[in-house]
Amino acid sequence: MSKEKRKVPIVDGLFTWPSDEPRLIGSRCPVCGSVQFPKSNVCNNPDCDHSKEPEQILLSPEGTLYSYTIHRYDLRPPFDYHKAPYAIGAVELPEGIIVVGRLTTTDEEKLKIGMKVRLKVGELYSDGENAYLTYFFEPVEEVRK
Amino acid sequence: MTESAIVSAAITEWTASGEPTPSLMDRLASVAVEALRRAKLRPRDVDAVIATTTALPFDNPSFITISAQHFAHRLASKIGSHGMKCINVCGACASTAIAFATADAMIKSGYIKTALVVGADNSPRGFYYQAPSVLDADLATGYPHKVVGITNPSYWAMWARRRAYEMGKPVEDIKELMALVKVIHSEYGARNPYARYRKVFTVEEVLKSPVVCDPLHLYMISATSSGAGAIVVADMERAKKLTDKPVKIAASAIGGPLSNEPAPRLVHFATAGGGRAVRPFTEWRRVIEEAYKQAGITAEDIDIMEVHDTNCFNTINWIDQAMGWEREETDKLIRKGEIRHNGRLPVNLSGGTASFGEAVQCQALMMIHELFLQLRGEAGERQATKKLRVGLCTAYGAYGSYGAIIVEKAW
Repeated sequence: MSKEKRKVPIVDGLFTWPSDEPRLIGSRCPVCGSVQFPKSNVCNNPDCDHSKEPEQILLSPEGTLYSYTIHRYDLRPPFDYHKAPYAIGAVELPEGIIVVGRLTTTDEEKLKIGMKVRLKVGELYSDGENAYLTYFFEPVEEVRK
Repeated sequence: MTESAIVSAAITEWTASGEPTPSLMDRLASVAVEALRRAKLRPRDVDAVIATTTALPFDNPSFITISAQHFAHRLASKIGSHGMKCINVCGACASTAIAFATADAMIKSGYIKTALVVGADNSPRGFYYQAPSVLDADLATGYPHKVVGITNPSYWAMWARRRAYEMGKPVEDIKELMALVKVIHSEYGARNPYARYRKVFTVEEVLKSPVVCDPLHLYMISATSSGAGAIVVADMERAKKLTDKPVKIAASAIGGPLSNEPAPRLVHFATAGGGRAVRPFTEWRRVIEEAYKQAGITAEDIDIMEVHDTNCFNTINWIDQAMGWEREETDKLIRKGEIRHNGRLPVNLSGGTASFGEAVQCQALMMIHELFLQLRGEAGERQATKKLRVGLCTAYGAYGSYGAIIVEKAW
């Protein structure tokens, strides 16, 4: 019987884990309200007086697909665990930022700019010990093309 | 303020990258000396060497510095230095434009009279990985590749698809337009002895090449190359003594990242928060607008352009941004072939990065060199047939690095 692998985020600090409803971890400036992803120790608004440090926030799990592409070339090591084809999207969140991330489907028939997508955490690849996790955006509406 | 001009320019042939060719420093030195020879100058006449650093890969992670970060100093020692000022510039793919603008500003301010702007690169092959150093992990830009598998072409592909969407067109429309851009650029690469690729493509061939990330096919994306170049810049008074055809630097603008830029930028996880500019590529347009202002001209004055086409979408986008017109006008310009040498607005008669491949950090030297030849009527088979007075060069790099240079006949 195979032992269940430990689920580990590919990089710490990008999304909440472990979690039943994972969210992206961003930050908001208490002075000017500017939102960032990933979270940062300073605000990135050029008009902010930077008098306070940004606070950590959890970003909205739902957004709108701004654009996307299906990557059809394999990457070389050490990133060859990104196996083609895989889909990448840019997603506009209600906070006013556009975040790039993996999409759950490479089926172009199921993708359309402007559609609603929802955050999900899933496996990117695994080795002998661990399953490495990243965040994905999953379409939550049917496409009528 | 003093006026400035290009006195001479020299580049090597662009060749395959990623191979240990003759030392970059040797290539850099020979092309630098060639540019000086053409200007009838000796190293003693040069007040400053401004070099770009390179995208050479690290050989060993324990090296705490790379020699390429000190190209200017090493070159000065190699060609003979009387204590010339040495500056090393790094600004991703737009490095040369920034080096050029630095030289120009130093001359225009009166600090120096003559500068040698140089660059050489032997770029890594394949997709560029933005891996953080073991000693420095920046969450915002160090990990998109690892976490998302996003490559530079992925961003370009998403921009291209978005443009088609915003224009209410199917994605096939921009795909075909990008193929046509490649075809036209290749016609001029075939006529350029400095270009790495001399094959003339057909639209069908481009569309049959493998899809990298749709709508971008392999032949729509620039390869990476090895190359070197040098340009001598002087104050106008001196330039006029050195050449009867000085090419005036009417503007040299440096652009940086804009926090309210709406298009996702290489190589970040996300755009910045806060108020967003209404139109995407505001940070591209801004550097051109600044150059127009410096030169006291408008888009209508531009006779010829060399734009930084790391992929065929960028040619289209640079025309959009430089002309500031409805995007439909750019499509018409390209479809009617008006960007050819005998067209209304010739673009990339060098053959572009499409034909050169990109020697990443010295690419704009190739473009400025082409405008220098075109304005002087020395571009041979590639020579634009219309009368030329003003040329625009745009440079594009990751992390929001841009340059816009306007050159003008001064005779």
